[in-house]
Amino acid sequence: MQETFDVIVVGGGHAGSEAALAAARMGAETLLVTQNIETLGQMSCNPAIGGIGKSHLVREIDALGGVMAEAADAAGIHFRVLNARKGPAVRATRAQTDRQLYKQFIRARLENQPKLRIFQQSVDDLIVEGDRVVGVVTQMQQRFLARSVILTVGTFLGGVIHVGLNQESGGRAGDSASNRLADRLRELPFAVGRLKTGTPPRVDARSVDFRTLTPQPGDQPTPKMSFWSVAGCHPEQVPCYITHTTEKTHEIIRAGLDRSPLYSGVIDGIGPRYCPSIEDKIVRFADKTSHQIFIEPEGLKTHELYPNGISTSLPYDVQVELLRSIPGFESAHITRPGYAIEYDYFEPKELKSSLETKHLNGLFFAGQINGTTGYEEAGAQGILAGINAVLQARGDPAWSPARSEAYIGVLVDDLITLGTLEPYRMFTSRAEYRLILRQDNADQRLCTTARRFGLLSDEQFQAFEQKQKAIESLKVEMKSALVFAGNADVDAVLSEPMHKEYRLSELIKRPEVNLPDLLAAAGRPLPEVEVSEQVEIEFKYQGYIDRQTQEIARLKAQQGLAIPLDLDYSLISGLSNEVRQKLAQVKPENIGQAGRISGVTPAAVSLLLVHLKRKGGIVKQAATI
Amino acid sequence: MKTHPEAKTPDAPETIIAEATPSGHAGISVVRLSGANALAIAQGVVGPISKPRHAYFRSFKTSTGDTFDQGLVLYFKAPNSFTGEDVVEFQGHGGPIVVHSLIQTCVEGGARMARPGEFSERSFLNDKMDLVQLEAVADLIASASEQAAKSALGSLTGIFSKAVNALVSAVTELRIYIEASIDFPEEEIDFLSEPFVLERTTMIEAQLEEILKQAEQGRRLQAGLSIALVGSPNAGKSSVLNRFSGQDSAIVTAVPGTTRDVIREQLVLDGYPIQIADTAGIREAADEIEREGIARSYQTALMADLSLWIIDVTTLDLPRLNLSRNVLERHLVAAQAALFQDDAPIKRLIVLNKMDLLPEIMQNQLSDLLVRDAHIFMVSAKTGRGWDDLASGIKAMAGVSEDSESLFSARTRHIVALTEAAQHLAEAKNSLITGLPGEFMAEDLKRAQVALGEITGQVTSDDLLGKIFSSFCIGK
Repeated sequence: MQETFDVIVVGGGHAGSEAALAAARMGAETLLVTQNIETLGQMSCNPAIGGIGKSHLVREIDALGGVMAEAADAAGIHFRVLNARKGPAVRATRAQTDRQLYKQFIRARLENQPKLRIFQQSVDDLIVEGDRVVGVVTQMQQRFLARSVILTVGTFLGGVIHVGLNQESGGRAGDSASNRLADRLRELPFAVGRLKTGTPPRVDARSVDFRTLTPQPGDQPTPKMSFWSVAGCHPEQVPCYITHTTEKTHEIIRAGLDRSPLYSGVIDGIGPRYCPSIEDKIVRFADKTSHQIFIEPEGLKTHELYPNGISTSLPYDVQVELLRSIPGFESAHITRPGYAIEYDYFEPKELKSSLETKHLNGLFFAGQINGTTGYEEAGAQGILAGINAVLQARGDPAWSPARSEAYIGVLVDDLITLGTLEPYRMFTSRAEYRLILRQDNADQRLCTTARRFGLLSDEQFQAFEQKQKAIESLKVEMKSALVFAGNADVDAVLSEPMHKEYRLSELIKRPEVNLPDLLAAAGRPLPEVEVSEQVEIEFKYQGYIDRQTQEIARLKAQQGLAIPLDLDYSLISGLSNEVRQKLAQVKPENIGQAGRISGVTPAAVSLLLVHLKRKGGIVKQAATI
Repeated sequence: MKTHPEAKTPDAPETIIAEATPSGHAGISVVRLSGANALAIAQGVVGPISKPRHAYFRSFKTSTGDTFDQGLVLYFKAPNSFTGEDVVEFQGHGGPIVVHSLIQTCVEGGARMARPGEFSERSFLNDKMDLVQLEAVADLIASASEQAAKSALGSLTGIFSKAVNALVSAVTELRIYIEASIDFPEEEIDFLSEPFVLERTTMIEAQLEEILKQAEQGRRLQAGLSIALVGSPNAGKSSVLNRFSGQDSAIVTAVPGTTRDVIREQLVLDGYPIQIADTAGIREAADEIEREGIARSYQTALMADLSLWIIDVTTLDLPRLNLSRNVLERHLVAAQAALFQDDAPIKRLIVLNKMDLLPEIMQNQLSDLLVRDAHIFMVSAKTGRGWDDLASGIKAMAGVSEDSESLFSARTRHIVALTEAAQHLAEAKNSLITGLPGEFMAEDLKRAQVALGEITGQVTSDDLLGKIFSSFCIGK
């Protein structure tokens, strides 16, 4: 028996779930193959969604009709807005989630998605015909055929788990690694690297003395993550706690370093610099006598806690000892030891911006397999790969948002242009058009495209259109409505009284004024929060936003020129060998991407342009800036 | 905040500007502006012009209305122009100051300084060149950018380079704090509201003002390449100066220590303006006045673009050195180290003077030894021997070239970049003072850094993140 699908997704984590859901929503016959249905939507690391740069991705996934934001709302037991006063573009939302609720939500969404079938079995091989992938073979030799295959295998490819000097094969604590598939992929012409990541030991809350910990309550009112979630979407809210490591903790760690796989040379994989293990922090920042630890609840119906900030692969006995040197944890009981995991990833420079591999047509990679870390980064790639797998199956042109359009665009462009040597995580400083890529306007940036692909329901798109209409009409109103000098109500919200008449659109630009207060003072009806927020940002920071918009328009003109994938770079005269090699390795899709490759100078880009022109004309395409 | 005029068509490339005539020469200079906004920008300088292919005689004015030159302006309407875009040509007086003012004014109006070869590139891309010219365009871009890189290095010498690098480090460091505060708000490193952010911004602003003042008003642009003559007393520095200028400007006697002050000469070397400073001989000073003179010599050498290191060849004891090239070189380097103890960033040529006093056989041996050395010259200031070689050596060091980017345009580029950075810094300070949220200050600072990156190379977001991770213990 041999079944045929449009799209097969291998893996049911954050990338796989988004990919499968997006493909099916677009109407493609989709199969999700997972090792274990029980772990669909599993949060392998910390129980949180969002954060700086990351909630931006979540909102973009949400605007594209993805599931992550709604799942976070349904499972979130503690919400915080970060950077509340540092500006709208760097403002972010983070949710601590109940792992079980999160998983349940994802699984329910997958199981109820029309056109999506789920199958539990390990995938051992790909079926390749010529230069394209046409299906997969499972552990029991069952063959499934498809036009596109998306691999979202996380840390499972050749995964090795380290606790102290002990090591064993595994994709996550308790799950086996995908070694057959890893071996098979290593035979294909992909460049493979090793990365490393880790988790802290989990702790039984009943063994923790909360009296000495600093509670950190969630924000009130509780923010929500999704554009589509409604009031009352959240379960019960609980606090997090903060504690610190002590000098004694540091001594214990130093004494245990000889049995650390990191410091005894057992681990080759490169770990993330922004998420170092506690042993790394203590070695690299030796003069720091204490480190913060955030104590995060794992859920409402469990006693397990996640002590964020002490990820470690030290031996179990050292883990127990170091934990017990931390205030509040003197008699802590570890429920699961911390561990480091090494896994295979593939050089993302070998991907197109659609996340299709350049080597094999129809094969897409998304998530940690591309060298990223984080649920949000994985989900973002998943939804993009899902969309493109369908477009590819249909023979339609690929789509990827530009760098000036979405963090998803920044993420993918960084990966395919610069590659990565450590697990790649999103930060707002990676986005050169940061002021425009806000979490509050992800819908404006992406919903229309999402609708075109069939990713949004009628109700969702109507809600979006209504919101846009409300925003536009409020803007128009504020540009025309005059307030006259002597209006005491309005003067009361200003730091200086008016001496002549002003438009509301002028008054809102004053730093001390906020829109709800101004509208109330001017006797105008209050719009929905999302609407007034949008209008306020657009007026208040118009100068900065306009400047960035103009810059994007200017650059798009030069950068949206397509470069054929099969261009022979050795034929371009005047290029240095180094530049030639770099261009040949990345095979940029357009002039803009070529210029972003490190070491490629403006002069080299000019030479490339001249060469393309000589080759018979230049084809304009959408710029990826 | 500067907002540039919207391009006529949203997908039109930026309007670019550059000097079209070889720079540094006297007489007439042609500056060319090309792109969709060329006419609008030009009108900001010369007032209303509209008729294509018509020569207008106009005053050239800065954005504040000060006239800095008068000349002809010609407008070529697209596609009937060299580049195929709207082009405006300014024909004004030659001389770096005028050209610089014109470029600066147009950049303020929204133009960007053209990359080397960019006019030809556009001309080619807009089908203004035939197939025969294709190879030439590629070659031109490659060689012009190489030349520009050399000139940029040449312009970044001495104290100027130190100051710019210090400035870039200061901006980068401030950005590390700002961006870390934004991207890692829970790491106990929130600096945005700390007073030192404003203090540092103000400090950087002052630093930048100082550099600009030096670069703009100082002799750099007016005088062209600055050369300091340094060496031991009586090595013949003043004779060298006189040989360059053809007049007795310094007192030349055979008594060591005659030149106690720095004597400057303004002259033209093959049409290229240079300023030569003769310094007091460097040795253990006998009196207060001479010590002061020597201190000034150090300073002059540090400030100059190029030092000519004058050595009396008869003092070298050549027979003892056995005329081996290595030994000689080591000897010269040692002699130099004695003059400048620290590793001062001085670009230098070594000039062996008084060759006429050497026996002919030794002259020949030395010639054979140094025949391929571009940094050591054998001359006689008295007879004029070796003078052409030295002049070419100086021009090579200065990156003077007939048809590509010279030191002048490199400098204009730097000043344009510094001015832009200063503007963004002022905006950063303003956004701090007016209490705008931190991300806007961060944006202004980033722009300042991008502007400075035109001089020293860009700092990427990944570089910045790397610095953040090595400066702070990040990691929840």
